[in-house]
Amino acid sequence: MLAYLLMSGIATGALYAMMAIGLVLVYRSTGHINFSHGELFMFGGFIAYTFFVILGVPYFLSLILAVIGGFVLGILSDRAVYRPLIKAPPLTMVLATVGFSFFLKGIARYFWGSMEGGDYVAFPAAMDPSPIPIGSIMVFPQQLLILAGAIVFVVGFTIFFRMTRAGKMMQATSENPTAAYLSGIRVERVYTLTWGAGSAIAAAAAVLMAPMTLLSPDVGFQLLLKAFAATVLGGLGSMPGAIVGGLLVGILESLGGGYVHSGVQDVSAFIVIIIVLILRPAGIFGVRNIRDT
Amino acid sequence: MQALLARRNIVAVGIIVFAILPTFANAYIVFVANLALMYILLSVGLNMLLGYAGQLAFPNAALFGVGAYTSGLLRLEFDLPYWITLPAGAAFATLIGLAIALPALRLRGLYLALATIAFAQAALWVFGHWNSVTYGGAGFRVPPMDFSPLPIDPPTGIYYLSLIIVLVAVPLGWNIVRSRIGRAWVALRESEVAAETLGIDLTRYKAYAYVVSGLYAGTAGALFSALLGIVTPESFDLFQVIVHFCMVIVGGIGSLWGGVLGAVILVGLLEVLRTFRDLQEIAFGGLLLFTVLVVPGGAIAMIKRYLPGWNEPLRRIGKKR
Amino acid sequence: MKARRHFLSTMSAALIASMCVVGAANAEVGVTDKEIKIGALGVLTGPLAKYGNTVYDGIETVYEEANKSGGIHGRQLVYVREDDRCQAAEAVGAAKKLIHQHKVFMIHGGACSNASLAAKPEIVATKVPWVITASTAPSLTYPVTPHIFTTMLAGWMESYAQVQYAVEKGMKRVAIIAQHDNWGRSRYDPLMEAFKLHGIEPVANEEIVPDPADATAIALRIQAAKADAVILIAFPKAAVVAVRDMYKIGYKPFMIGGSTVGDVGLFTKNVGIPGATDNLHAVSTIGYAADDPAVAKWKKLVEAKYSGDTFNIYHMFGIASGQFVVEALRRAGKDLTRDAFNKAASNLSVNTDVYGGPITCTPTNHQCHNTAAWFGLVNGTTKRLATTIVTR
Repeated sequence: MLAYLLMSGIATGALYAMMAIGLVLVYRSTGHINFSHGELFMFGGFIAYTFFVILGVPYFLSLILAVIGGFVLGILSDRAVYRPLIKAPPLTMVLATVGFSFFLKGIARYFWGSMEGGDYVAFPAAMDPSPIPIGSIMVFPQQLLILAGAIVFVVGFTIFFRMTRAGKMMQATSENPTAAYLSGIRVERVYTLTWGAGSAIAAAAAVLMAPMTLLSPDVGFQLLLKAFAATVLGGLGSMPGAIVGGLLVGILESLGGGYVHSGVQDVSAFIVIIIVLILRPAGIFGVRNIRDT
Repeated sequence: MQALLARRNIVAVGIIVFAILPTFANAYIVFVANLALMYILLSVGLNMLLGYAGQLAFPNAALFGVGAYTSGLLRLEFDLPYWITLPAGAAFATLIGLAIALPALRLRGLYLALATIAFAQAALWVFGHWNSVTYGGAGFRVPPMDFSPLPIDPPTGIYYLSLIIVLVAVPLGWNIVRSRIGRAWVALRESEVAAETLGIDLTRYKAYAYVVSGLYAGTAGALFSALLGIVTPESFDLFQVIVHFCMVIVGGIGSLWGGVLGAVILVGLLEVLRTFRDLQEIAFGGLLLFTVLVVPGGAIAMIKRYLPGWNEPLRRIGKKR
Repeated sequence: MKARRHFLSTMSAALIASMCVVGAANAEVGVTDKEIKIGALGVLTGPLAKYGNTVYDGIETVYEEANKSGGIHGRQLVYVREDDRCQAAEAVGAAKKLIHQHKVFMIHGGACSNASLAAKPEIVATKVPWVITASTAPSLTYPVTPHIFTTMLAGWMESYAQVQYAVEKGMKRVAIIAQHDNWGRSRYDPLMEAFKLHGIEPVANEEIVPDPADATAIALRIQAAKADAVILIAFPKAAVVAVRDMYKIGYKPFMIGGSTVGDVGLFTKNVGIPGATDNLHAVSTIGYAADDPAVAKWKKLVEAKYSGDTFNIYHMFGIASGQFVVEALRRAGKDLTRDAFNKAASNLSVNTDVYGGPITCTPTNHQCHNTAAWFGLVNGTTKRLATTIVTR
């Protein structure tokens, strides 16, 4: 039982971690929380659905196209929402991203919502969906794909950050925007890139998750809340924290659901947020900007 | 002209319209106006916490629910009269507001926002799962209100009761924000360090903000349970959080009258959006974005610009008048 | 004296004449010589929009058929939809808007129980006839209000039928997977009653959220309880995950679903794993699968009228209810009044095209539908296995 619970906890946790990375990325460079992140996730899923199910494009190509689509959507949201409000107080930004999330949800519902009769669409698995044995337990191939995908994307992101020029610029900007600006980095472009990258990884998470659930326009919000829990647990500004936090929330939910009661599975994430914030507001890995915006 | 459009006159016209509305409008319009009155309480209360004290906290939807559940349950289980259940609901919500203030005092900015959103979600879970008390996800019906000595039907009675409460609560709020408390809030909003050097007890005044906003939310909740006659958990979900928040921002953050306006605008908007059907969410989201991008100061900023008679000392609160 | 009598008779004649004029002008609200205005009250936006809109598409299709064949006594049916977002506050607003602003003759609709319950006092106070299509709370129609009817199975009926079915199939250890939101609770509470009536205890009682990413924990708990049957009270989004995860851990209990998975074929397609739903039987309000030739006529009409719709069980809720209302309006006669409608509807039995049994209202019973049908997969297609009349 423990092996099963850990396995599904890690698989769900990997998705939370991918969501949390996008949140942290934007937060670190701009100091804002993107409340439309869940809807960017959802939209990425529907982009993949359009390619994979409607147009019959292979799964992996759909995944890549969705990631590109997510990136473009992120850039668009930067232009439409963030750029004009770059100097606005956090409150205004919260409302703007909330408004944007409704907008995206409405569009998704309008175009894809009714395609299969209900308010959801079925996203077929990438490969034969029959479970396969791993050690003593059975897992869905898609669960392994989630893990593999999460590792690929996280490693890819790390390399991008550490090795590439753009990645270094992003790091420099998040450390100190003024200094970055003075040393010739076009900070606004970096912000654009950040929104695009955060949205792209959310889209990837959506494509990995969609075959495990049904895809609906409302799927993003729950994921966003879980990603919040992950970021709070890991420390709002920390990238490794986001990954560990995501996995921890996933495992905690799974164990809570298995050993305590299925009723607490969903609420455990919020209890985590509250307890962590009361006891250790900076999170596990949070070092800078303790308690501050 | 300027004198004619002074704030006092505009507010007076607003009060008169609300006061005589039931005599000419149909029951639907009266109901919507009643919702607007209730949301004025929520919006004004949240504005004190968000706008004046500068706490990025969203406990109101949950406290709204606490008020509704408390007064509704007291009415249902003990058959208490409304003049007891309403203050009881408000008082209990205030108490919970104080209780969440204690841990929340340690947090600031977005951490505080996330913590209070988590609190709202946890409260919703409790409403939906504490079956022996809250009747769980199915909710419960509240016995209708009785105005028996007075010759009025319940909807009209609740309407005028709401109006009276608003007529007390808004001036009360107006006085609070202009008092020592309001000045302390603005000081700590602008800079906690500076406020502390001025001898302002941060903990105490932050706690006041939570308490006052809890009082307003709880009162609104108690009215809500009477107005609808049914209390169910999904009435207090995160959409409520968003609606309250929108009211404050759309009306004008840090302006009491902005809060009033925001409530009326949002309630009207949600009713108009009914006709949009499939496009409702797109229109709602689009309008929020539009407001933030085009009129960042909210409706009150527009009014200040085009109605010179509106002499609310918005940004001068806290300074000597 | 004579003059006076003359005066009196003139006056009374004038009075009678004026009363006639007033009578004509005071024709029933929402009814003119040309049309009958009917309001829809239900969820049209947000996550649950499909469960409202789709039902009303079904109703409107029936109305349009009636209109095409000349209307009801020459009057065309006009359908006005108002959104309740599945929320109590919005439902009261929507009901008041329909009654006082649109001035409808009657209300035909209602998708969420809590929202419908919130709207009920206003409808009771104004005595507007109300035929409920999809809300399942029994307290909507019991005790009987003379002008409120429902053409939907009450929430308890499916739950009772599920437990009954488990017992009939000889299941000894029965477990539950249920959503505990307001929809789930309207079925879960009577389910527990039914368990008690049969003198059995569920061996596991698990909660699932409406939007789960994973249900392995639930599957394991039920497996650990050694249940041989599982009663599912969940929307497809949750049910799909639960069924997949039970299959994943190699646990294959007999599964007893409800209306939400009633189209077992469609649900199987959603689950996406061949064989995972072989043990699933589901009870449903409707009498035919969506691709059954018996309902092909309606499928064609609905899909032609609403290009975005795929014909499904929710359309059928609307079609059955629409057929009932059209027949009641017809029986109510040329001089249509609310009282006449209530009287006609209270003494009416209609065999609809889509339910497994007739919709029958009597003056003492306004829960007009009580025939549940059981569905399962036979050779890969959804087949009706049995029908049952549910009683308490």
